[in-house]
Amino acid sequence: MAVVAFDLKDVTKIGLSKENLLKALPEMGVEVEEVTAQELKINVTPNRPDLLDFVGLKRAIENFGGISKPKDSFYKIDGKAALTINVKNEVKKARPYIAGMVVKNVNLSGNMLKYLINFTEKFADTYGRKRKKLAIGIHNLNAIEGDLVYTAVKEGEIVPLNSQKSTSFSKIMKAHDKGVTYQDTVPNYGSGSVLYPCLSDSKKVIALIPITNCDQTKVISLTKNLFVDITGTSLVAVKSAAALIACSFLYAGADVYPVTVSKPGEKFETPALGYKEMKVSMRKAERTLGVETGRHNVISFANKMGYTAAKYGDSVLFYIPPYRVDIFNDQDIIEDIAIAYGYDKIMPLAISGIVSGLENSDVEYENKIARLMVGLGYTEAINSMLTSEKVNFDNLLHKYTNDDHVSIADSKTSMISMLRTSLLPGLLQNLGISGMATMPQRLFEIGRCFSLKGDTPKEDKRASFVSVHAKANFAEAKSAVSAMLSSMGMEYTISQHKDPSFIEGRCAKAVSKGKEVCVFGEIHPNVLKNFGIEEPVVAAEMIVKEEVQY
Amino acid sequence: MHQYEERLLGFLAKKGAATLDEITDATELGRDTILWAAESLQKAGAIDVKRAGIVDVKASQEGERYMEEFPEESLVRKLATRKERVGDVSDHIALGWAKKNGWITIDSGGILGLTKEGGKAASGSFDYPARKVLISLTTTEPGRRQDLINKNKDVVAALVKRGLIEVKERNEIRSLSITKKGADMLAKAPKEQGIGLLAKDLIKSGEWSKLGFRPYDVSAPSDTVYPSRMHPVREFINVMRRKWLEMGFIEVEGPIIETAFWNFDALFSPQDHPTRDMQDTFFLSNPDKLTIEDITALHKVKEMHLTGWKETWNEELARSAILRTHTTSVSARQMRKLAKAMQQNYPIRMFSIGSVFRNENLDYKHLAELRQYDGIIVGNDLTLANLIYVLKTFYSKLGIDDVKVRPSYFPFVEPGLEFYYFDKEHNDSIELCGGGVIREEITKALGLSRTVLAWGGGVDRLMLNQKIFGVESLPTLFKNDVSWLRSRGNLKV
Repeated sequence: MAVVAFDLKDVTKIGLSKENLLKALPEMGVEVEEVTAQELKINVTPNRPDLLDFVGLKRAIENFGGISKPKDSFYKIDGKAALTINVKNEVKKARPYIAGMVVKNVNLSGNMLKYLINFTEKFADTYGRKRKKLAIGIHNLNAIEGDLVYTAVKEGEIVPLNSQKSTSFSKIMKAHDKGVTYQDTVPNYGSGSVLYPCLSDSKKVIALIPITNCDQTKVISLTKNLFVDITGTSLVAVKSAAALIACSFLYAGADVYPVTVSKPGEKFETPALGYKEMKVSMRKAERTLGVETGRHNVISFANKMGYTAAKYGDSVLFYIPPYRVDIFNDQDIIEDIAIAYGYDKIMPLAISGIVSGLENSDVEYENKIARLMVGLGYTEAINSMLTSEKVNFDNLLHKYTNDDHVSIADSKTSMISMLRTSLLPGLLQNLGISGMATMPQRLFEIGRCFSLKGDTPKEDKRASFVSVHAKANFAEAKSAVSAMLSSMGMEYTISQHKDPSFIEGRCAKAVSKGKEVCVFGEIHPNVLKNFGIEEPVVAAEMIVKEEVQY
Repeated sequence: MHQYEERLLGFLAKKGAATLDEITDATELGRDTILWAAESLQKAGAIDVKRAGIVDVKASQEGERYMEEFPEESLVRKLATRKERVGDVSDHIALGWAKKNGWITIDSGGILGLTKEGGKAASGSFDYPARKVLISLTTTEPGRRQDLINKNKDVVAALVKRGLIEVKERNEIRSLSITKKGADMLAKAPKEQGIGLLAKDLIKSGEWSKLGFRPYDVSAPSDTVYPSRMHPVREFINVMRRKWLEMGFIEVEGPIIETAFWNFDALFSPQDHPTRDMQDTFFLSNPDKLTIEDITALHKVKEMHLTGWKETWNEELARSAILRTHTTSVSARQMRKLAKAMQQNYPIRMFSIGSVFRNENLDYKHLAELRQYDGIIVGNDLTLANLIYVLKTFYSKLGIDDVKVRPSYFPFVEPGLEFYYFDKEHNDSIELCGGGVIREEITKALGLSRTVLAWGGGVDRLMLNQKIFGVESLPTLFKNDVSWLRSRGNLKV
């Protein structure tokens, strides 16, 4: 999701009243993030990067609102290639793909320049995966001298945007804010084999890609003629983006001219604006949506969504404009038919047939245990499964190795580094913050705990309880454990047990059918201290289900 | 004189003076009962009550940590050794306080600098007032706390606001003693008439009928007891479960530790999608990879990615061990199970409710663990209109009637939709769930030749809804403060 902002007065000039516009946008699948007196902020989903651009949004609103209809084969490029980009072999290992175009008679007055720049930034951030997969550069064509060379070098110099000083690439990477931000887009950055992709004309480096353009080719709102470069690591993405951008300029009324990309052994022109044709069965559309759309209507629906279309037997042929990078197959078009029809107009339809539900026996078993615990006077807590070694092991005086628990790689907080192996630490934390509530305090929890068996993670379901008050003692825990295990239908024997979390000699385990099913006793004073608890605590932990399989 | 008053007075007559604890132990009267009796006896001039102001202070776990160093202190200490950009500081609390304290400056380029005060704060000898007060408040003897609080009002208020300490004031009774008037009252009190506590032998012998019963003052207080209960989130999940079961759904569960394969790849999420970043998803370091046992599904999913996204597809990435980011992974596994099962009575409806995880900075608004509900309906000729019916029915069963539907995008559905309602109080539309028709590429790759309707939404978020529970913030729900668990409101569904 990407949020873009436009001046409200620009958007309301498109042709819909503010009220109708705010109604239409969600119907089109565009979430309105915020509307102020000056500004409209929208949230664009990743499948529709064309809407990040003001022109693209304007086009979609015009079509959807019936202000204008898409024209057959509107998006095409005539004319001779205006420029050549010579691509060197060096970029193969760095950032292999490039496309470009020349745009003339563009109007960047008012907010249009700002919108264009915002669009290229947001587009490269989302669709371009933070410029790594794809980035866009926009230059003043009149400041470009001669043909262009796209290559990758170990070091070079450029006068970065908004600066007067020629600066080395390596310095830009360290000191320039864009350099620092996008370090990871440069292959092998920080090593001896670093390669900086760059674009040069006959006189100067015009872009350190994808970091900064040069200042000499800077675009201002008076600029009329542009050169646009699109570079990246994915051929499909670069081609689609070039088409999308070209469509935008064409729709805005500018003239777009192709650029020749000349690689060793290969020569072609970009951008390529081809319409895809897609046959959509009306039967399938109606069966997917559950509404009767009518074939005639579908053509006007198509127009509403920016397609031109024609009847074709029992189907409708859709011509997909080149800026739609999200259409994989007919399902995607069927969604657009639904949007044009109006989601809110789809009548809810019951599914026929009588069925009976079925609860999951494991979940119901958890509920049974919860009811028993409540009956014994315990209140339920729900803690997170995420914890740290400090809380899970150290606080309980348990030793651990790196191979006996499931560890988390890159958490944003030191409070999370592993999955809990036991429910007790969470419950003891709860008592630690509840000191001021009247005693006795009795809590229980039922939930999943995790461990490692070799390389295989194990998920167990456990139930635990804690009781804190001045007279809490072993017998209380034993009574509750006995009540629980008998109610769960278990036959068991209780014997002496050792666990550093409990006071030695006041800890026991229950064994059923040869398996340890419960450990309980009086919590060790050092553990109490670790959790900030000031009164005695008795606790138990039971295995509800071992090694849950799904 | 009420029997409780008489018992209390009788005890004091023997002892002269006593503390509350001594009285509870000896008379077996509850605390609330003694306080009630003491108040009325004091009014009658029968006893003297000595009181003392007590302030309880308790540091939170965060507070305990901060006794070593406050985050704003570690921030300036760090800044004293190296430059940082404001955007790089992830600890916004530290940043906020350092700014408030006038310790830092931010230049136009977003670079942080230290002021003179900040330099002092970064030096080893600095005694930060907030830390000083925090430590002394929690360690000083209770009787002196009030004094300390009066002297440091602003600092204490800030500590409370930051959730580092909890302060409770109470005027506690120190001791009770009987007066001369009280002794007289006790002596003149009419002898007890009738039965107090009804005992087994009185019932058996029938002697109660001769003695009669002494009437009780029904307005006398009784001790407060708290019912033990399940957690509100379990209660709510059980409500949701019941609704799905009523609608003919089968309940399923799935693993928390997942492969990226079932969480992302099988659902057509491209391998370079931003949500697959460490930034958003919890990857495991041990184990870091898991086996994908279903080789057929593995190959089919790979093929789906290669033809669909036209990008490379890496099996190693698919094997990454992660914590599931949505319960849709459970639905993906179930779709595959159904494809492999022999005969089924379609349509089949399934739901699951469980925890999902996001790599978040924890604060008052964000939790790293959330609960979701997910569902699928698998069958022939299922439509978007069917999906809208099912979800509208579900939400209306929860009492949310004014739900609306709009188009939305998720990589695994097409057409995709979103259910939401308009929250008039906050003037905001609140998303309930996302869903749609599972992409044909996915059902095909999983070997299922049927239509699948699918959806997923957040459980916890619904607890904020006034019609359901109306909790003020999600972290409150999972703090498990015993006082809160005891006094919390009831579910409204």
